[in-house]
Amino acid sequence: MANHMENEGVDWFFRVNTAVLIVLVAVTAGMIVQHELELKADSSHGSPGINTLQKRYEEQLAKKAWLYKDVLYLEKKGDFDQAVSKVLKILKDHPDDAYGLVLLGRLYSQQGQIVKSVRSYRRAVELDPDYVDKTTPLYIGDEIMKLISSARGKLNREKKLKPEDKQIQTAINDIYYLQRRIAGGCE
Amino acid sequence: MFKSFFDVSIITGAVLGAGCVVLSYLGNPVNSGICLSCFLENLAGAMQLHSHVRMSYLRPELIGFVLGSFAMATATRRFQVTGGSSPIIRFFLGFFMIVGCAVFIGCPIKMIHRLAAGDLTACAALLGLMLGVWLGARYIKAGVALDRVRKLPKINGYIFPLFALNLLLFLFMKPAFIVFGQTGPAALHAPVPISLAVSFVIGCLAQRSGLCITGGFRNLFLVREGTLFKGVLAAFLGALVLSLVLGQFHLGLNGQPASHTSHLWTFLAMMLVGLASVIIDGCPFRQVIKAGQGDVDSAVTCFGMLTGAALVIGWSIRSTSAGPTFYGKIAVLAGLMACVVLVMYYRRSPAAVR
Repeated sequence: MANHMENEGVDWFFRVNTAVLIVLVAVTAGMIVQHELELKADSSHGSPGINTLQKRYEEQLAKKAWLYKDVLYLEKKGDFDQAVSKVLKILKDHPDDAYGLVLLGRLYSQQGQIVKSVRSYRRAVELDPDYVDKTTPLYIGDEIMKLISSARGKLNREKKLKPEDKQIQTAINDIYYLQRRIAGGCE
Repeated sequence: MFKSFFDVSIITGAVLGAGCVVLSYLGNPVNSGICLSCFLENLAGAMQLHSHVRMSYLRPELIGFVLGSFAMATATRRFQVTGGSSPIIRFFLGFFMIVGCAVFIGCPIKMIHRLAAGDLTACAALLGLMLGVWLGARYIKAGVALDRVRKLPKINGYIFPLFALNLLLFLFMKPAFIVFGQTGPAALHAPVPISLAVSFVIGCLAQRSGLCITGGFRNLFLVREGTLFKGVLAAFLGALVLSLVLGQFHLGLNGQPASHTSHLWTFLAMMLVGLASVIIDGCPFRQVIKAGQGDVDSAVTCFGMLTGAALVIGWSIRSTSAGPTFYGKIAVLAGLMACVVLVMYYRRSPAAVR
């Protein structure tokens, strides 16, 4: 008898809880569906889409081009010494500006100052990995690889001549770092 | 000979190795077709457990592994719900395994993929992992074992597969609180249906075979048994052949993707992974598979790994292409210390071992 009552109790307990569960699932599912439909109507939710991101990059580049307009003009004229001093002046106020460091790297490269150029590119990439990210419009991996392929042989020769020179070793390490970053991977 | 050729662990290994290269070829990051630690870091980011958007993506592969394992275990009546063995210790060893992986930049599966793609920096990782596993095997022989596992009510075993199912819903519904990064590694992924299908098959096979990278070495060192090790070799060969065929093989030490040349720290980090894996019985991949087949202890380890994945990024206890960070080095040493303390505490008396 006691056992029967216990079973009846379990049945009652189970029936009520199953009903509650069904109601909860139905309400939750309904709320999710309604929410999804509302979101579909308003497409501006969630992570920024590719187009928004592209726009952001374009704005960022336009701002930088304005900040460095004199440098870009001097670079175009071929006055690299003046351009370098201008960039360095701007970088004093904006030391973490990756765009300025990329410009500096490019100018040093045009001056033939490989060690300094490689260092600038490395600092830029460390600050903003988008410069070696093929999915962004900032990507300059090909430009860096061009510099690396011309610099590697020269630096290796110099290392053989001056094996104790720490600057050359640092530049070689910078090259390897840039190569690894351009190669991609999960980082 | 014929039977041995079609051994399920060899097939699993071959499919796993090939899957790594194929997924990488179809869009996953280079040399990172399948990497449990990277994927968990991505998942942690997607769940906003860290704020590095470039590393935030809900990797379908993780979901596929769990659901594949769950499906196979259920279909073959191997879904057995067990747990209760030193849960907090497993949680923290899961955390430290991911620390080790983050300092090397990759889990044991990625190590195999990197080796098969010609990345010679992974040699130090292989040696470190082997030493860690060998040490772990010695400790087991000396009587080290965590607390006894016991049967648990079935509902405990369904929680982790349900968590994976929930992630699958998030993947398709893309709720606002789940972050999908648009640049960096987060933007690099194979098509979702392919990732899901490949990982589901691997999950099924891995559940059936019990394939585990560290388990393969452990069995070899401990009892000279090579079934799982053949699977590990098959994974390497599968990845090597496909890397060569698909032009993804680049032999060298320098300029390898997501690598560094601090070989000592690579060695120590993977030694930590090897040792911790043996203590808690399974590499990160195996933990995920076991969690799918009802092992609650492994599910706890997986949550420890997820916590680790969030913190290695948030606290920067990891490596970048520039090498390991200071905190990464300290965390590896702390992990090794934790393992040593644990094995000292959990060593049963020689009489009990006999």
